Amino acid sequence: MYYPVSVRIAPTTTILRERILPQRGEVLVERGAVVLATDVVARCQVPGEVKAVDVSRELRIDRARAAGRIRVAAGDTVQAGDVVAAARGLAGRFRNCRAPADGRVLEVRNGLIFIEAAPVSLELQAGMKGQIASVMPGLGVVVSATGALLQGIWGNGGTAEGVLKMVVDSPEKPLRARAIDVSCQGTLIVGGRIPGEEVLEQATEAKVRGIIVGSARADLRPALEALPIPVMLTEGFGMLPLSQPAYSLLQSSMGREASLDAETRTRWDVKRPELIVPWQPTVSEASPQPEAIPLEEGVMVRIARGPHMGATGAVTHIPARPQVVESGARLPVAEVEVDGDPVAVPLANLELIH
Amino acid sequence: MTHDEMSIESVLAIDCGSTTTQALLVDRVGHEYRLIARAEAPSSKEPPWNDIVVAVRQAVSKLTEITGWRLLDEAGQIITPERQDGGVDAVVAVASASEPLRTLAIGLRRDISLESARQALAGSYVLLEEQVSLDRRQGGVLSDDVDGQIRLIRELKPDLVVLVGGIDGADNDHLLVAAEAVGLGCSALPKGERPTVVYAGNADLRPAVAEILGAYCDLRAVDNVRPELSVENPAPLQTEVEEIYHRKKMDRVPGFGTLAAWSPVPVQPANKAFAQTVQYLAQLDGINVLGVNVGGASTTAASVVDRQLDLRVRSDLGLSYSAARLLEEVPVESILRWLPFEMDPGDLRDAMLNKALRPRTLPQTRQELLLEQALAREILRLTVADLSARWPQGGSRLYKHLLPKFHLIVGAGGVLANVASFGQAALMLLDGLQPVGVCGLALDRVGLTAPLSAVAMVNPLAAAQVMEQDALLNLGTVVAPVGTAREGETALTFRLNYEDERTLEVEVAYGSLEIIPLPAGRTATLELRPSRRFDIGLGTKGQAGTTKVEGGIIGIIVDARGRPLPMAEDAAEQQARMQRWLWDMGS
Repeated sequence: MYYPVSVRIAPTTTILRERILPQRGEVLVERGAVVLATDVVARCQVPGEVKAVDVSRELRIDRARAAGRIRVAAGDTVQAGDVVAAARGLAGRFRNCRAPADGRVLEVRNGLIFIEAAPVSLELQAGMKGQIASVMPGLGVVVSATGALLQGIWGNGGTAEGVLKMVVDSPEKPLRARAIDVSCQGTLIVGGRIPGEEVLEQATEAKVRGIIVGSARADLRPALEALPIPVMLTEGFGMLPLSQPAYSLLQSSMGREASLDAETRTRWDVKRPELIVPWQPTVSEASPQPEAIPLEEGVMVRIARGPHMGATGAVTHIPARPQVVESGARLPVAEVEVDGDPVAVPLANLELIH
Repeated sequence: MTHDEMSIESVLAIDCGSTTTQALLVDRVGHEYRLIARAEAPSSKEPPWNDIVVAVRQAVSKLTEITGWRLLDEAGQIITPERQDGGVDAVVAVASASEPLRTLAIGLRRDISLESARQALAGSYVLLEEQVSLDRRQGGVLSDDVDGQIRLIRELKPDLVVLVGGIDGADNDHLLVAAEAVGLGCSALPKGERPTVVYAGNADLRPAVAEILGAYCDLRAVDNVRPELSVENPAPLQTEVEEIYHRKKMDRVPGFGTLAAWSPVPVQPANKAFAQTVQYLAQLDGINVLGVNVGGASTTAASVVDRQLDLRVRSDLGLSYSAARLLEEVPVESILRWLPFEMDPGDLRDAMLNKALRPRTLPQTRQELLLEQALAREILRLTVADLSARWPQGGSRLYKHLLPKFHLIVGAGGVLANVASFGQAALMLLDGLQPVGVCGLALDRVGLTAPLSAVAMVNPLAAAQVMEQDALLNLGTVVAPVGTAREGETALTFRLNYEDERTLEVEVAYGSLEIIPLPAGRTATLELRPSRRFDIGLGTKGQAGTTKVEGGIIGIIVDARGRPLPMAEDAAEQQARMQRWLWDMGS
């Protein structure tokens, strides 16, 4: 039995997402509460940045002498610009060391003063429209909804909410800068692929909230990573169109509110970007475990590499023995129906759609 | 042999890699130990399984399908010891599936203490995210950017901070300032996320460093990595880092506990196991051996040169998860030069990023396969370049910018094992490593090099016999003269005296790659007469020599392309050369 990598392209499913504070804090909602994506569900205090004042360096005296010139002690509150140490120079004039920020003196040691800026309040949003399925006191919540779920392969980070807007009329068509007009403001726009940087500039200019496309060239990655709005690629890098199942899901969700989470971790602790289109809030008791689905005849797959990369179709046959593929290597393969024809694809290059 | 070793006959060896998990069954057949069967499954560390043992069970189940021998019980546990209806006497395992230790190294001098620390860390699964040296002089005062160090620790959230600097007995005030910054940086992180700090600097400052850092983090103090300017002492730091890797990374891989509980000996990190096997091969015949293992997430090179073992792990270079990272190290042209066809640099970048996003995928077309092999050549080149700093000049190292003389080179890893022809594997090793003189080439086709080291822990005889019989595929012997000439000029002439007294005399032109068949198991005597511009590894140009060579699946490869390997400046010409080299190697 072979278990391929799976990808979620689900028009209707139960979606549960944990929202966890980076450190212990306060949960502001109760189980069963209906929330919008931007509603604050929990908050905590994050320690402020620690700034160091190197008295010995600033006053140009050795560390042993520096200790005697310090005018503050651990626990003191300081304002930016306050004199925290001073020494008389050669000409009899005082040289001063000033606090670099408002805050509290954390520690004074070895001729150094460490000042911790005031703590920052961090507010955690629900991230999607739904219902609070469970509360973890002090830690966070689980938000639940019934809706559509589209998993991508790469995203540039960040999250956004908005109405889905299709700006192309087929999955192959690239996004064009001229198609991104004032009507795209505040929306999550959908296109086949990103052909160049001018599209990104226009999307920012038009105050688009997020972009969902099949692909973008790898050369655009630095520009995508610098972009202030989230972008999700559903297929990968290159000139790949949106896959037909992804396009159908997006088309049927047009005009609906959706949440885009473009955070991606590819190397360790893998996390894929995703688009959630909640249809209705639902309280689900248990988090459905991601299931491992074996590759069998009849299942829908996406081809993840090779000459048919990006194509989707049903598995029609799984030969019992490995086959010689075009590279000359002998590999276990499955036959997939692509545009009505069976093509042999190495099992390792198949992603199961569910 | 102890009583336990005598009673352990059948061994199940497991290798949990980042991309693939394999299971190998070793048992006695007649009077000797052999590899009975091998099976693999895609690794299962990631969702939806989040448990490395899932892939182990899948691979072990395939072993049962192949052999008909039951290895798992109804509860999914491996049956030990062996009984009449199934099971094995022992389970051993090696693993490289865990994340490397993300490390921040802080030292006084980049070229002294920090360099010693970097070399000490080089043999472990460590990703050196940042190096901070305190030796930037500004206005005559040592600049120690305390704010920067605090910020770095808070942003990086490293697993490990290594603090080094100062020779023992010296006065190093600013090292204490760095310790203050490390402490403050650590204190700003939640307790569970604080790094372990290893102090391997001036021994006299240990109490002061302990006073500063003890309250903020898990502090380990070891002997100074550079106790004197002219003395390096890497071992204590290496041992400590290995222990931290085990505790912080290996032990925390989901399912590791189950794997460890099956084995009577500790699960070994695959890099160490690989190095031990390379060392074993070197000691067996008293030879110089280089082993390279190109993995999905990391690449390991282990060498024994004049009896000195050195190990280099590049936790950031591999053919799947780390494919995109290679682009940060080398320009795209360095990869393109290994392709026999034209490829748009943008397409190459797309392909590399896609491979990193989908690490399990395999090349389906010849172009995709040759692209992965091109990446492997660069990865080999970079990894061995790092290792070369450890090889002393003189002895077996005749030329500063070339490999020392190795008697045997062993290639391992999927990209070398899963080739369309063995000529492709040999050419990757020749291009990526550029061996000199006369050298044997072997391929670890079944991924036994690292697991056999673990087998040796429970049954050394079994490990030795399987190594001898099943582990390595002898590709042949390479003869690579060092020197340059004009294309077509004679580089060397050789006469091959076969065992049956037939002889073959060949003149080899500079720039060519010749294959002379000599089947595996056969030997021949090779009389080499280089021209006056070439050295066949004897240290003197033009000096003739005679050597006994072993055959292999390819035979004798005379690589007269020159050392260093010259590359054509014109892209089309280089593509034509690559195509010719592939044809010469039968691919």
